[in-house]
Amino acid sequence: MKAQMRKGVLDMCILSLLSTEAMYTSDIIERLKKSNLVIVEGTLYPLLTRLKNGDLLEYYWMESNSGPPRKYFKITEKGRSFLADLKDSWTEINEAVSLTTQKQS
Amino acid sequence: MNKTININLGGYPFTIDEDAYVTASHYLDTLTNHFSGSEGEAEIMQDIESRMGELVSRNKGSRVIVNKIDVLEAIAVLGTPEELQDIDFSQAEIKQKKAKSSSFQLKTGKRLFRDPDDQIVSGVCSGLASYFGIQDAVWIRIAFVLLTMLGGASVMVYIVLWAIVPEAKTVSDRLEMMGEPTNVNNIAKMVKEELEGLSDKIQETFSKKQKKHRFGQTPHSSGHDDDQPLTSGFSWDGKLPLRKKEKVTYDHKDFV
Repeated sequence: MKAQMRKGVLDMCILSLLSTEAMYTSDIIERLKKSNLVIVEGTLYPLLTRLKNGDLLEYYWMESNSGPPRKYFKITEKGRSFLADLKDSWTEINEAVSLTTQKQS
Repeated sequence: MNKTININLGGYPFTIDEDAYVTASHYLDTLTNHFSGSEGEAEIMQDIESRMGELVSRNKGSRVIVNKIDVLEAIAVLGTPEELQDIDFSQAEIKQKKAKSSSFQLKTGKRLFRDPDDQIVSGVCSGLASYFGIQDAVWIRIAFVLLTMLGGASVMVYIVLWAIVPEAKTVSDRLEMMGEPTNVNNIAKMVKEELEGLSDKIQETFSKKQKKHRFGQTPHSSGHDDDQPLTSGFSWDGKLPLRKKEKVTYDHKDFV
């Protein structure tokens, strides 16, 4: 259950992180690790690919001074509107949950 | 002393110890398997590989040769397949299932098998009958016999078919033979039918024995009590269809 919930919010977090700046995959992972959302990096790659294939993200290559070029991800217009929708429903759910749980206690 | 191998890991050139190479290549193979069928698997693996290259090169530092510890550390950061299962795999799995079910749809086209359940010589005719959607294999058999009498090469054809057409051994073979999609429901149905057929046979054998020895109360119902766990969840009520007209004079519950 916990994993399910975390999975649900991961999309939103990634989109939200990328909505301010383009980021390199390992930087995204770094940020998510800090907030304990992701434990191992491998979980993120399928997610990013899925979001990219859904046209919510796009990437470009950046030359790196140490090694091969790196993949930088950034959000698309579609991703932005999707993120806005997600945030709306997140707020709704949040309110609903806090309302119900408050009544119970 | 260790042999070294030169590799290109996601764009990073490395000279790597042989044992470290084996570990890394096994890891990548496992992951490829793990993601196979999920959306954009090639891309995922490419990303993971280049990230692995980056991590290994960071771990290696200024050393010339990559050792096993470097690889293991990189794997710890990327995550073992078990760890990957935790969060995102269920999603990948759904994709995988979708992909699989669509490929099963494609497979719905029948395959030619010999049918061991309905055979007179080798099941070639019944297999052909199910392949062409003919209800009764007897028509194919008649056709074969007629062709033989007309002096055709049908005996040769038959023997060649016997030799090259595989027998439908497994449940999925049989489903493919009949052109039904190989999914869990159909397999369950098939297994259930098979078990019922089996219990019919058991029933017959027991009733024969009963006649022979005049056992009034052979508790033959115990036979299917053993079968029951196999079918749990298939909604089989456990009743044995009686072929013979003999009436069972006792309640099954008496023996449970």
